[in-house]
Amino acid sequence: MQELNEGLKNEFRQAAGAVRKRLEQRPDRAGMRAYIVESGMGRFIKSRKMSKIELERVMKKGGVAGVDGSTNSTGGIFPYVITLQQAMAKSTVAEEEIYFQHVICPLLFEEAVDEAGYQELVKTSLAGLEARAALSAVEKFSPAVLLIDGSLVRLKIEAKHLWEKLKEAALDSGTLLAGVVEGISTRVISSALKGVLPEAVTGACDWELLFGVLDVGEGLEVAPGCFKEGFRTIFMRTSGDPKPIGIDLLEEQYEYLGLVENLIYTLTPESGRGIPLWLDLIDKKVKISDATIEGLLKTYLGADYAEFLAPKRAKRSP
Amino acid sequence: MQVVGLTTPQEIFVAAKERKFRINEILVIDDPYQGPLIGEVVEANSYNRFIPLSINHDFIDARVLESLERLGYSISEDEINIARVKLMTEASFPVTTGAKAHLPDFSEVRDFLVRSDREGGLALGEIKNTEETAASMDESLKGLFYVYSRGERYRTRNVPFLLDLKSFQQYPHIGIFGGSGSGKSYGLRVIMEELMVKEIPSIILDPHYEMDFSDIEEGLEGAPDFTGAFRKFQIGEDIGVEFLALGKRDLLDLLSAVKPLTEAMSSAVEILHRRGDTYVSFSSRLELLAEALELGRIRIDKMLQQDMEPAERERYKKMKELIEEYPNIPLVSVQGIAWRLRRLHASGIFNYDIKPVKEALLSGKLAVIQGPIWLLQVFSTYLLSNLYRARRDYKDGELRGQSTADYFPPFVIATDEAHNFAPKGRDAASKGVITEIAQEGRKYGVFLVLATQRPTLLDETVTAQLNTKIIFRTVRGHDIATITEETDIGAEEARRLPYLPSGDAFVSSPLFGRTVAIRVRYPYTRSPHTLNPFDEIKRYRVSAEEKLFGLLEPHLPVYETNLLKVIQALNTGAPDVKLEVKTLKESLDNLVKSGRLKKTDTPFGAMYHS
Repeated sequence: MQELNEGLKNEFRQAAGAVRKRLEQRPDRAGMRAYIVESGMGRFIKSRKMSKIELERVMKKGGVAGVDGSTNSTGGIFPYVITLQQAMAKSTVAEEEIYFQHVICPLLFEEAVDEAGYQELVKTSLAGLEARAALSAVEKFSPAVLLIDGSLVRLKIEAKHLWEKLKEAALDSGTLLAGVVEGISTRVISSALKGVLPEAVTGACDWELLFGVLDVGEGLEVAPGCFKEGFRTIFMRTSGDPKPIGIDLLEEQYEYLGLVENLIYTLTPESGRGIPLWLDLIDKKVKISDATIEGLLKTYLGADYAEFLAPKRAKRSP
Repeated sequence: MQVVGLTTPQEIFVAAKERKFRINEILVIDDPYQGPLIGEVVEANSYNRFIPLSINHDFIDARVLESLERLGYSISEDEINIARVKLMTEASFPVTTGAKAHLPDFSEVRDFLVRSDREGGLALGEIKNTEETAASMDESLKGLFYVYSRGERYRTRNVPFLLDLKSFQQYPHIGIFGGSGSGKSYGLRVIMEELMVKEIPSIILDPHYEMDFSDIEEGLEGAPDFTGAFRKFQIGEDIGVEFLALGKRDLLDLLSAVKPLTEAMSSAVEILHRRGDTYVSFSSRLELLAEALELGRIRIDKMLQQDMEPAERERYKKMKELIEEYPNIPLVSVQGIAWRLRRLHASGIFNYDIKPVKEALLSGKLAVIQGPIWLLQVFSTYLLSNLYRARRDYKDGELRGQSTADYFPPFVIATDEAHNFAPKGRDAASKGVITEIAQEGRKYGVFLVLATQRPTLLDETVTAQLNTKIIFRTVRGHDIATITEETDIGAEEARRLPYLPSGDAFVSSPLFGRTVAIRVRYPYTRSPHTLNPFDEIKRYRVSAEEKLFGLLEPHLPVYETNLLKVIQALNTGAPDVKLEVKTLKESLDNLVKSGRLKKTDTPFGAMYHS
């Protein structure tokens, strides 16, 4: 066994070496901060926890609402797939919860779609549901702040029409829209610092460069022009977790940046992974469990056909 | 409220968002196929999926929750409550999941809760957690008594627990188990009060001198007056044993209760005691025989040959007769018996009889028998056998159609520390009669109420006959094991036994067919011992100090050098004080310590002044 795996070990060693090299060449905390400050691509700002009075003020203005979506599919082979989607909005003030649901299946389309196309559709459809939930939340609750799970830019791209309506409604009612991004995948910093950063981290993701660079409660506000037009973004470390989250804001509501940052910081558990608790609660409520999917399938398709959709790997013995 | 999860015909889970469940609550499950099913909550849980018990999960800190509350959201909104419900009677099929459940109206569950009425039942307390159901109860059952909980006394809002008196004939005898401070004594007191209200002839053996019912608690509306309903008897002062009526067996029991008899002593008593003996005749026979054995036959003969007073001669003649009649009884045995008899006599037991107790029972009263535990054991044996015999003779005569014996009513016998009267594994004088009543009493309408903190030490035959068991907090594992074995109390209840608040109890009765959780009602009367002994010490000390200060005041200031004169004055004024120089000085210093007097040094020694 040892013998046999000698080659594998070598390969692994090489891979680990490459990772280590990249990590070693990554600028350290002080270096990274210096690069950013010198380039003028952003500035570091400190947030603080809001006082009870400030929070009550937010509540009087309509409180905080959150939007999140979930999608889950039966595990069959394409096109024997049924996808269930749901988006939800919930406000801290109102008791009502807003739900939008949608079922998609490749066999429902008049024109045939391939698997990749279907996946794309699933994505945009979910974004559409989320945008509708958000729009409905603004109309029904007109909250002071609406936290959306995921970036605002994504909504704009994947549900353009609804996004425009949402934006308009938010600006009208004075609701601050904030996209909260857990897994940052942008490359704002590396593209702004092109040629300045060491070669190994050229084109690195923002989270990679900012990992451990920010203090708890500290954010990097990206200068205008370095991000998508019409939006402002901040990378912020909201909890003990060294990996920052991203916060998107409308350009038009830039002046309230401080408020949004402080609010998100206040609502995030110190020892959590950095996501405001409110979005976590909504995430738990909106999530479509495998059991639900299975139950629906057995009810509406029948157990015999449901078997047809079960993928082989689900039958693996544990 | 609805049934969730996996169900069985015996047990289900019910979930509710709007209210929390409480243990022992009764729920009705509206099964669409089987009709209404009645169940009892045996386990109550609350769960909030946003605050999970998980080490790996994000820990939600209180600060964030508080912030959310400021923003208008309380996390408790998302709590769900789950109850494990045991059906009272097994369903034919597993309960339908999703079936609705509701809190019952009184009419739906009447039979499970109330098996008697106000007139025919002993109102022992309230059935726990039945407020909602009690609201729709007949007015005649509402607010029957007071309860005490968490420092507050109020009229009961629950369904009353009524122990049906008539059912005693079918299911006789009550056992009350519970550790000290569990509310057991209160429970016993409540039962006695209820028996008095119903004018049931009863006897209670009271080794703790606490069964007095003349001290009524204040502020209890509708509290009955018990002063005429009970009579207290002290053994040797009010009641006793009529020596003439003693059989050999009774006498042996009495003597061995003082201190166990040896085999030789027992047989000596059998031989020496004669029918028609009075205390005097029996004791003088013993004393004389002892003297004779000590002297010996030869010396008695020698004495008889001498010249002496006729009375003296008579004495020696008797000695000679005795020693000739009982040559084989050892001296030590006779001395041992004589000593025991003297001790019994000193307690005054032979100066009275049990007539007053019989009279109390005949007039439907409660007879409280007080005395130290050793004497109580002896006496109760005699008393209970006599009363039981009186009742049995009457009843047997009646059955045979010839009522020769005088009427004697059915009655209830109650005692605390019952394990002393019918102990397991060893003999006690009273054990025989108690066992007999436990086994046969119901035929004659003689019932037992036995309380003990050590059910493990109570004779098993007796325990087995206690049909209704009232179980208060019990901490000892041994006793809990006994209770689980001897009652139909379930594992859930047994687990809760060590945590029961004082005054809460489980009642296991064949009449209910299940264990009912109750809270014993607040007694109308209080025990004379409710003053804490430590308060008593303090109170005594303060009053003694007060008294001394009052006596001293006119003599102030007092000089240390002149104490003797003060004492003389004090002792003539109050002869019961009896002070000496040393004790007076100590008392004066104590008064200085407590700030009542001041002490100043003067050229004539210390001066005490106010």
